[in-house]
Order: sequence, then structure tokens, then C-alpha cells
Amino acid sequence: MRNGGRARLLLVVLIVTSLFLITLDLRGVKVIEGFKQGTQTVLSPFQRAGAVVFNPIKDFFSDVSNLGRTGNQIEKLEAENAKLKIDLLNRKNADAQLEQLKEILDLAGIAGYKVVNAKVISQGSSQSFSQTLTIDSGSKAGIRKNMTVLSQYGIAGVVKDVYPNSALIQLASDPAFKIGARIAGSQQIGILSGQGNRSATLQLLDNSTTVSVGDVLLARGSSSNRPFVPGVPLGYVSRVDNSAGAIAQSAVVRYYTNFSTLGVVAVVVGGPSSNPGDALVPAKPQVTPIPTVTVTVTPTPSPAD
Amino acid sequence: MFTRQLSFSAPIFLSIFLVQEAVISQFRLPGGGFSLLLIFALTWAVLSQPEIAAVIGFASGFLMDLSQSASGPFGQWTLLMLLAGYSISYIGYGDDNVHANAIGIVFFVVTATFLVEIAFLLSGALLGVALGSFSQMVTTLFGMSLWSLLVAPIMLPLFTKLHGLVFDSRSVI
Repeated sequence: MRNGGRARLLLVVLIVTSLFLITLDLRGVKVIEGFKQGTQTVLSPFQRAGAVVFNPIKDFFSDVSNLGRTGNQIEKLEAENAKLKIDLLNRKNADAQLEQLKEILDLAGIAGYKVVNAKVISQGSSQSFSQTLTIDSGSKAGIRKNMTVLSQYGIAGVVKDVYPNSALIQLASDPAFKIGARIAGSQQIGILSGQGNRSATLQLLDNSTTVSVGDVLLARGSSSNRPFVPGVPLGYVSRVDNSAGAIAQSAVVRYYTNFSTLGVVAVVVGGPSSNPGDALVPAKPQVTPIPTVTVTVTPTPSPAD
Repeated sequence: MFTRQLSFSAPIFLSIFLVQEAVISQFRLPGGGFSLLLIFALTWAVLSQPEIAAVIGFASGFLMDLSQSASGPFGQWTLLMLLAGYSISYIGYGDDNVHANAIGIVFFVVTATFLVEIAFLLSGALLGVALGSFSQMVTTLFGMSLWSLLVAPIMLPLFTKLHGLVFDSRSVI
């Protein structure tokens, strides 16, 4: 009886403590924030070490998850895989990261973004159904909360939390991620929301406008360029929802960025002096014509002639 | 006795948390991957008395809330793990079909993982946490359960051995 009473008391105390913690967090009490910051400060050296040790093998699992696609995609992947194998033989990850970095800098250079580059040191667990990653640069490198994060293809996410030597990035695929988007060319605007994978939903704001498959989406930008700088490529429309009862048209958008292969990202610490407009719209893939080889055979004159 | 056992458990849980954050989180595994800390805490809870399991659940939930990838309010995992730890131990405690049977423990752990994730989704929805599309939720839910089914039997001998060392029990399988 006494033991049972003690156990019940313990359980009640722990439940009350948990509810107390939830209440404190929902009310924005800074003690909880300090707890998390302190933990990340302690964890970041271990995450850096983990990133160094496991970097050569961590892409294996994301490659495995791409199995089961259509034959065309498999052929394309095989071709890419062959190319990657050559890259791997040459300089392994250093080359790949350098390539990513170069493309990010090209992207940032065209638009005039001032960026700080960072390596991904942790991918974040999906146990909480969130999509985050941790980078190896923080407030000491000039990174602040609510700054745009770029990959070599466009948007990667936004800075959610900053620590002295690391930062937590909320990926654009996170269900809580939302960004103002405009369609390149037509300038129609809408809200793009993450869905937990590489697809996102676009909700147009004006019920008189329409969207088509293949339309390219760019970031509208925020005031003072935070959290989002204007002109960042987001993705393209892969499916249009034409529900009869919908107030405004919606669409499914596929992000340009493959979030499972991010190795290097850039945080935009300074926005462009002028809006880059549609300058960053990715070029459409060009069809390379296969040359026709014509062989002309001229008969050799026989000795009898 | 109770305090001594819990103080011995603390460094083990911290080490598992470190492995989760520094090693396992390096990989973006298909289907959402797995949480070693979640599997460890639930295994530990199955093998322990209800009140110890409740404290273990509380502590492991607190660590999960400290993780940078935790999306809900601080304390959500603490509450869920506390309840999960106590419940799983309460149901299985004293039943040798569970304690002395590796399959029984794995079954309990995998089922509890699935239910805890569902509880997280439901409580998250009540607390206003954005959870993504339904298909993505289902994928992650079943993906994590399958990963748990794969990882729990592999790690079970180590986990039960550690539990035996700390609690001096005879539950080593």
C-alpha cells in the first residue's frame, strides 16, 4: 500500500513537472531556450567529429532510398552514379563539396547576395516529424536567426536557431515551413508550404489567377530581406489542383533542392541592393542532338582498269 | 538503492543521447530512420519496475526535448515518454512471458514506439505543431516502426546486459 502510494505520488509529480515545462515553453520562458542552447553548444563538437568520420558513407542511405523509380530515372541515376564514382575516385567528398560550393557562390553572385558558407554537421532526426539540419557556422560567423539558407539549386531553408559555432536550419521541406512565392514571368503570388518531403503545396492568393505545370517559382522576399531574400529559385509546379470548390487555385510544387544530399549550404547574411527579378530562374535542360555520322565509301579502282 | 540505480543509469542515457545526436543523426535514413534513445528507453522501461520506468521515461523524454530536431513545445516528449515508460512497465512487469522472452521485449518495444509516435502526432496536433502531409506522416510512422523492429533485436543483448549491470537483475538474455 505504502509503495503503491509512493509510486502514484512520483507519477503525479513527474506529470505535473512535464505539464509545467510545456506551459513554460508555450509562454516563451527563456530558461528553456537556455537549456537547448547549452545542449547544442556541448553537442556541436561531437557532431563535427561525427560529420568528419561518417561523411564518406552517409550518402549511401539516401542513395538506397532512391531505389524503385522508373526505368528512365534508373538509367539517369546510373549515369549519374557512374559520374559520381569517377568523382569519388578523384577526390571523394572534397570535390563534391567544392562543386556544391561553387554553384552556390555562382547563384549568390548573380543575385548579389552576401553569403556565409557552412558544412552540414548533423541531419536531425525525424522522430518529431520535423526536417532540420545543423551547420558548422553560427553567430561568430555573422549568422543570425531568420536568414535565408541556399543550396546550389535554390532555397534550402531558413535559420531557426543560432549558437556561437553552429546553427539549426529549418529545411524548406519541414511541415512548418512557409514562404511567399511568385511565379516567374506572370508574377502571380502565393504561399508555399513544406509537406515533409521534396514536394510542397502552393496556395495562390488571387482567385482570378491560374498556374500551369512547369511554372517556375521564386521567393518573393521579405522586408529587410529577413527571413527571405527575393529571387531565390524554389521549385517548379508539378501538378495543378483544379478542385471545383476551391477559393483559389492550388498546386503541388517540386523543390529544386534535394534535401537528402545537402553537404554544403550558404546562409545569406546580406541581401541584394536591388531585386534580382527572374535572373535566377534555372535554365531549362537543353536537348543535345546526336550527330548523324555519314560514311562515304569510294570504291578503289581495280588493277584490271 | 533507487537513487543509486538511477545515478548509474544517467551516464548511460547521456551516452546514448550523444550517439543519437552525433552519429545516427548524420544519416538521413529512408522512412524517417530510428531513434536509438527511444528504443533504449522503452527497452529499459520494459525491464524495470513501473516507478523506475516512469523516471527513466521522464529523463529520456527530457533529453529528446533537448534535441535540436524536436519540433513540439519543450516538455511534450517528456510527458509522452513518462507515460509510455510507466505504461509499458506496468503492463509487462511481473510477467515472465515478457521479461524472459526476447521476442516479447521486442514486440513491446516496437508496439510502444508506434504508439508513442501516434501519441506525439495527436498531442502535436492539439498543441498546434505543423506535422506535414498525411502520406508523409504514415510513411514516417511505419518507417520508424520497421527500423525499430530491425534495430531493437540487434541492440537487445547490449541493452539487457547494461540493465543487468545497473539493476543487478537476472534479465540478461
